Amino acid sequence: MADEVSCLKARLLDKETELDVLKKKLAQYEKNEKPCIELIDKVTTLTPLESKPLSNEDIMRYSRQLLLPELGVRGQKNLSQSSVLVVGCGGLGCPLAQYLAAAGIGRLGLLDYDEVELSNLHRQVLHREESQGQAKALSAATAVNRLNSTVECIPYNLQLSSENALQLIQQYDIVADCSDNVPTRYLVNDACVISRKPLVSASALRMEGQLTVYNYRGGPCYRCLYPVPPPAETVTNCSDGGVLGVVPGIMGCLQALEVIKIASGQGSSCGQQLVMFDALDTRFRSIRLRPRQPECAVCGEKPSVTQLVDYEALCGSAATDKCRRLNLLSKDHRITVQEYKAVVDNASSHLLLDVRPPVEVDICRLPISLNIPLSSLQQGKGGHLQLLRESISQSKGQMSGDGPLPVYVICKQGNDSQKAVQLLEKMSTSELDEITVKDICGGLMAWSQKIDPEFPQY
Amino acid sequence: INTYYLVTVLYFAKSAELTGHRSEVVPLPAATSSCQLWALLLELHPSLAALQDQVVLAVRQQYVALGDQALLLADGDEVAVVPPLSGG
Repeated sequence: MADEVSCLKARLLDKETELDVLKKKLAQYEKNEKPCIELIDKVTTLTPLESKPLSNEDIMRYSRQLLLPELGVRGQKNLSQSSVLVVGCGGLGCPLAQYLAAAGIGRLGLLDYDEVELSNLHRQVLHREESQGQAKALSAATAVNRLNSTVECIPYNLQLSSENALQLIQQYDIVADCSDNVPTRYLVNDACVISRKPLVSASALRMEGQLTVYNYRGGPCYRCLYPVPPPAETVTNCSDGGVLGVVPGIMGCLQALEVIKIASGQGSSCGQQLVMFDALDTRFRSIRLRPRQPECAVCGEKPSVTQLVDYEALCGSAATDKCRRLNLLSKDHRITVQEYKAVVDNASSHLLLDVRPPVEVDICRLPISLNIPLSSLQQGKGGHLQLLRESISQSKGQMSGDGPLPVYVICKQGNDSQKAVQLLEKMSTSELDEITVKDICGGLMAWSQKIDPEFPQY
Repeated sequence: INTYYLVTVLYFAKSAELTGHRSEVVPLPAATSSCQLWALLLELHPSLAALQDQVVLAVRQQYVALGDQALLLADGDEVAVVPPLSGG
C-alpha cells in the first residue's frame, strides 16, 4: 500500500514537471508569435490607411474620449485614418508618440538615427534601462506597440536629409518636429512647406519650452519667423545646457494635443501663436504671430527656396545635438590627457585651471584644480583674476627652475578650455606673470575614458 | 517734450543668459519704434548683439516686426525678447 502511494506521488510529480515544461513552451511560442517590429533604414512606400468602422473593442478602449462632444465618433474615426511622422524620438517625441498611440492615431512614423543612452532616460520616457544601445526608433515603437497594438507603427532608423525628407513627409498627414538641432528644424520646415503639410513644432531647453504650429491655415512657417539661422556658437543644446526632464514632457504633451486636434478635424489654435512655457514660474505665455510672410524665402509669393538645400551648410552646424569639437589652438598649445598624466606623475610644478561653471564642478572635479569659470575670465571679473594671479605666483614660488609656469586648462570636453587658453594668452604678458598656457584635449571626459575610469562621465 | 513710460522687459532662453536678467523695468519714451527699442536694449546689454536678427520681439504679447513705426507704449506694458529654442 505504502509502495503504491509513493509510486503515485512520484508519477504525479513527473506529470506536474511535464505540465510546467509544456506551459513554458507554449508561453514562449505565444510570445514569439506576436508581430515582430521591423526597423526600417530607408524610406518605403506606404499603403493608404483603410477606413474601418469602430469595433466593440475600439468603442470600449476609446470610450472616455468618445464621450467628448469635441471628439465623438467622427473625430475618433478621423484619428484612426490619420498618419503622423514624429521627427525625433527623444524628450519631446516620447510623450508625443505615447499619447498619439493611446488616443488611437492610425499610423505613427517614428524617426530617429540615435541609440538609447543612460543619460536619455530622465526625459525620454518610452525607453528603458534594457534598451540602452538599441535604436531609439525601435525602442519607442516597441513601447508604443505594447500600449496600443492596433496603431500601425513604423520605426525609421535613419537621419532625415535633403535626399529623403520629401519622399517621407509626403506620405504623412501631419509632421511633428521633435528634433534637437537647428539644421533639422529648417529641413523639416522647408519639406513641410513644399509638401503642404502642417508642422506641429516644439522645443525645450533647461526650464523653458516653445510650441507653434507652422504652415497651417495661412499662418507663418518657421522661416517667416526666423529667416536667418542663428550662428552655430550661439546655440545651446540639451547635453551642454541641461534640461529638466518634465519640461520636454510637458511640451511633447502639448504637441500631442495639437496633433490630435488637427487629426480629428477640430483644428489647432496655435497656427499663429507662439506658446512659451516658463517652468520656473509655471507660467504659459502666448505671443500672437503675424500671418504667412509674402516675402518669406520658402512659403512667400516668390520663394527662392523651391527644393531642399544643404541644411548643415545653411546653419553652419551638424544635424545632431552632440557636442561640436572646436579646433581653435595649434598643436603646441594643446596636450593630451596621457601627457597631462605624465606631468602629474612626475610631480612637475604646474597649475591646473578648471574653467567649467560651478554647477558642473559640483558634479566632479580633479582635486588639485583651481576653478574659475570661463565666463568670469571673459568678463574679466576682478576677484577671480586676483585669485588666478595669487595661485600663479604661489605655484611659481614652488618651482625649482626660473622659466615660465605651465598652466594647463581643462573643461568637460575640451572646447571651453581652448577659448580660455586664447584669453589667457592675451593676458599673459600684460595682466599675469609669465606663464605658458595649454589646454587638455578632450577635457575631463577624455580623462575618464583614457586615464581614470573611476572619474564620472556626464 | 518726451514722456517716459515704465515697461517690463522679459528675457527668454538665450537672452536671459546673455543679459543675466529674466525681467527688468526699463523707462521708454512713449513713441519708441521697435528698432529704437532693440537699439536701446543693446545699449543696456551689449551682449544681446549675439542675437541680432534671431529674436522675436513682442509687445503686449503681440509680435512686432523691426521697423520705424511707433509702438505706443504705456506704463506696465510687457515687452518680450524671445530667441528660438532648438533642443528637444
